[in-house]
Amino acid sequence: MNNLNSVLGIWTNWAKQAEKILGHVKFAVVIILVFAICLIYGTFMESYHGTEYANRLVYKSPFFFFIQFLMFLSIFTATLMRLPIKKHLYGFYVLHLGLLLLFAGSFITYTSGLDGSMTLPPNLAVRNVQLNEDELAVSFHNRGIKLVAPMPFKATPVDLNELDLTANHPDLAQIKLIKFYPFSDLKIEWIKSPQHFSLPEQSSRYQLFNDNFSEEITLSMVAESDFSMSASLGLLNVHYMPESMFACFNKPLKTKYILWNAFSGECSSLEAKKIKPQKTKEGKVRITLLENGDKIQFFPESSPLPMNDKMESEPNKPWRIFGLELFEKKPHLFTFGKHVAYYSKDEKKWLTDSFDEKPLIELPWMGFQLKLLNHHTDLYPVRTPTYVKPIQDGGQLVSGGEKAVLLKIKERPYWVKVSDGPNDLLVDGEKITLELKKKELVLPFELNLERFKMDTDPGTNNPASYESFVSVFAGNGNNQFHIYMNNPLKYDLFTFYQASYFEAQEGQFGSVLSVNYDPGRFWKYLGSLLLVFGSLWHFVLRNRKKVA
Amino acid sequence: MILNLFLMLTLQLSAQDKEAYFCQNEYESLPVQAQGRVKPLRVLAEETLRFISGSSKLDDKSATEAFCLLSLESMGLKNNLKLMAKVEHVKAKEFLGLEASVTMIDANTLVENKDTLRAQYMSQKENDSYKKELNKLLTRAKFIEELKAGNLWTVPVVDNQQITWQALPDFLTEERVSRFKDSGRDPFTSAFYESKDAYVQVAGDAYLLELTYVKYNLFTWSMCLALMALGFLVVRKKVGIGLFFVISLLLIEISGIMMRIFISGRAPITNMYETVMFSGFGCLVLALIIYGIKKDKLYLLAGISYNLLCLLMMKFANNMLDPSIQTLVPVLRDNFWLSTHVTTVILSYAALALSWILANIVLIKKMRSQQSVEDERYDMNLIYTCLKFGVVLLSAGVILGGVWADYSWGRFWGWDPKETWSLIVLLVYMAILHGKYSAWINNKNFVPLVAAAFMSVMMAWFGVNYILATGLHSYGFSEGGAIFLGSFFMAQTVFLIVYLLKAKPKIDKPTQA
Repeated sequence: MNNLNSVLGIWTNWAKQAEKILGHVKFAVVIILVFAICLIYGTFMESYHGTEYANRLVYKSPFFFFIQFLMFLSIFTATLMRLPIKKHLYGFYVLHLGLLLLFAGSFITYTSGLDGSMTLPPNLAVRNVQLNEDELAVSFHNRGIKLVAPMPFKATPVDLNELDLTANHPDLAQIKLIKFYPFSDLKIEWIKSPQHFSLPEQSSRYQLFNDNFSEEITLSMVAESDFSMSASLGLLNVHYMPESMFACFNKPLKTKYILWNAFSGECSSLEAKKIKPQKTKEGKVRITLLENGDKIQFFPESSPLPMNDKMESEPNKPWRIFGLELFEKKPHLFTFGKHVAYYSKDEKKWLTDSFDEKPLIELPWMGFQLKLLNHHTDLYPVRTPTYVKPIQDGGQLVSGGEKAVLLKIKERPYWVKVSDGPNDLLVDGEKITLELKKKELVLPFELNLERFKMDTDPGTNNPASYESFVSVFAGNGNNQFHIYMNNPLKYDLFTFYQASYFEAQEGQFGSVLSVNYDPGRFWKYLGSLLLVFGSLWHFVLRNRKKVA
Repeated sequence: MILNLFLMLTLQLSAQDKEAYFCQNEYESLPVQAQGRVKPLRVLAEETLRFISGSSKLDDKSATEAFCLLSLESMGLKNNLKLMAKVEHVKAKEFLGLEASVTMIDANTLVENKDTLRAQYMSQKENDSYKKELNKLLTRAKFIEELKAGNLWTVPVVDNQQITWQALPDFLTEERVSRFKDSGRDPFTSAFYESKDAYVQVAGDAYLLELTYVKYNLFTWSMCLALMALGFLVVRKKVGIGLFFVISLLLIEISGIMMRIFISGRAPITNMYETVMFSGFGCLVLALIIYGIKKDKLYLLAGISYNLLCLLMMKFANNMLDPSIQTLVPVLRDNFWLSTHVTTVILSYAALALSWILANIVLIKKMRSQQSVEDERYDMNLIYTCLKFGVVLLSAGVILGGVWADYSWGRFWGWDPKETWSLIVLLVYMAILHGKYSAWINNKNFVPLVAAAFMSVMMAWFGVNYILATGLHSYGFSEGGAIFLGSFFMAQTVFLIVYLLKAKPKIDKPTQA
């Protein structure tokens, strides 16, 4: 008994001490200042790095919640300490009760409210609301299994500790979560070539520039690479060719056709093979090649691939024929790793150039120059997500806009990126789909955008109002609604607000609504009312009495 | 052809008039449609010239005459005006081959350099102040081209009660003008006035209010009155006469504000210019009310000083505060919430500004003479009264903002920089008030803290727009607003440091009077 009493005594002592500290005005000053400093930091972070980064780093961080909790405690104990009720403190009680209700209301909103957005393309029924959090969804189509892993709401890279997503399904291919980047850029990384193809496995990276323009072009012949064999920059098309083909561009050709064996890499002119192009009855060019008694025919004006009698292309045969005339009208640049070829309209012939002795090659278009940055035959380029702090400019992220999660599928690393959309993969012969996306909520009813209207200020293109005409279908017929700025739609528990719009097709607009369910609303409004009334009472009315 | 008419006209005119063709200052009342609004030609002319050259006059011509002459270039009529365009950034001057001390470039030269400027703009990767200046120069070049192509000047054509707006070259057809050949005055002027009359018949002449507003320069007059009031209060110590000037000044400001309300059809608090205008007005009204209660003329002094500061900014800081009346972005188009929320916040800033001025006045007083404990308590109370008004209004304003946001965006609070900073201001003042209730902040420390706390208001008011909203690349403090804000912070901080170094030690015992 004595023991219990002394324990109780210690507890009451502590509680009194805690009350003394938490309820003290000095504590309030400290906590207010810490809160203000967090906010100042948050606004600058938002200015540098964008809204989402600031939310993840500051406003929705556990530390910030802790500060708000301390603030709540401070107000709460300060109010308790001033009980029983004293007449001259009426304003104080009302004001601080208002604050407590505001905190409580916000907490309810945070824990059980909903804040998302809904993208409505024209005339397409939509049920899904996108929320702020990200999740990874993995679907095993054959078995009808869908696994979902929520991604942490953090601003910095998160180690996911090899969490085994398939732990409860030992019969599925094992998928482990390695790390999550909430903000990243795709950086080019060169990795070792698999060396299993007969094709030349070359990859190159160039810089194309003139006084006003500069662009880096990465080209690769490796199938696993994220880069392809051609690129177009405005009017200019760049084609990446095997180095072995350069020999044929580099010597004068009588007929403008190059014959190339895609499997062996061997190339030659038609003259060398003693083949002459013929014309069909329709006036098309036909080239016939004899190989092992086999007749292979080409129509190089329409395709470099061989054609069978039914005019179907046959990519399995090794030969290709390039008709160079096709590439003479518009600017085309052929690059072969360390060499280039192009048609010069001034000299009316094909010219070649090499990086062997010089760093830059002058091109005949608009003063453009080409620089070889990398060239490899044993490495190939991939785009790997790299974490960066995002940078915003004018409300848009100019860097760091990609989210990515690294997985190990049966111990092989694999990146899933938001920009990819759904990734289809074959694992052990089974098709699975991976997707990193916003968490979604499915509404019990459908919204259909029937019409979107945008008014502009007279004589300008500045929008004056956005309006969505939507119909809501909840299983018992359609209801028509009109949503515009400052006129939201309240339906079921949800409220829909006109937030933004986008051009779906030429002249056709889709609408973005923000969707909201706020169970804390009542408490926040009541708190606000008490706060304003209380501060009036405390600061103004009370003093008037004193003066009187 | 229409040129024949011009020829005829030029023959009729005396040699002196020839240079002006038919352009005349009376055209200032013609209606034009620009930037989504109908306004008098003079307003458009002044806005355009101010944007291009920084001045609303050109050579010896009024804005209207110059605008008219420049627009007539589209019809092949030459003039002797020398239109110059502003160039501000050192790097832009260098790029255009100008000396660093030169601030203007010939308008035609600027237009000729348009393509190289665009190429230079495209090649700038960082969106820094240089790139922004290039963009501004390109916009100026475009305005010059449009002006000289006659496209800025739109003329109403009324057909069957329907108004369509035609650019000047489309309006001045031979058919239309030649109808007035024998009308007594020049046919062009007749055509313009006929169009104006037809427009007024259909749409009314409410747009002309803006002409009156621009002509009367009410806020310049207010500035003079504020100076007089200040003079009588400080130098001649005549409160009665000072009060008279204060009341007349307030009446003039009310007319100015009312005119703006009628012209724009909304509360006068939608851009920086208007918030400065309204806060100056609100501060003086508050000062007058508190003066009525507390009877200390220091309130009047502080109110007028702040009002004068605002008027000076409105007059001379047009680089930062754009006086033109513009259309609103859709989300602000709700008069009820705009009027209540923004007005409350700006009034709270006005009350806090009053406390800031008072605090600085008290600091100066303290630096000049020793103060007793009573004096200190008295001064503290002067400032505290303003703070109470400010804090109550600000809490109400912040909460009204939350309610508006909830009503129109579906969220009470979204940590948007503007709302967050208004909360930071509230927290800063709350910290001071709570510090005052505990023994941390005594009457002596209270005053410099209140003076310093106003920096948070300036940050919420101007900083969010001029520093935070511009993003990472514009922290160079190179633009008008950022320079202003930086100088303000610097000046206030230096003054506080000087005060802390120089403050006379407090006399512990009350002095015998």
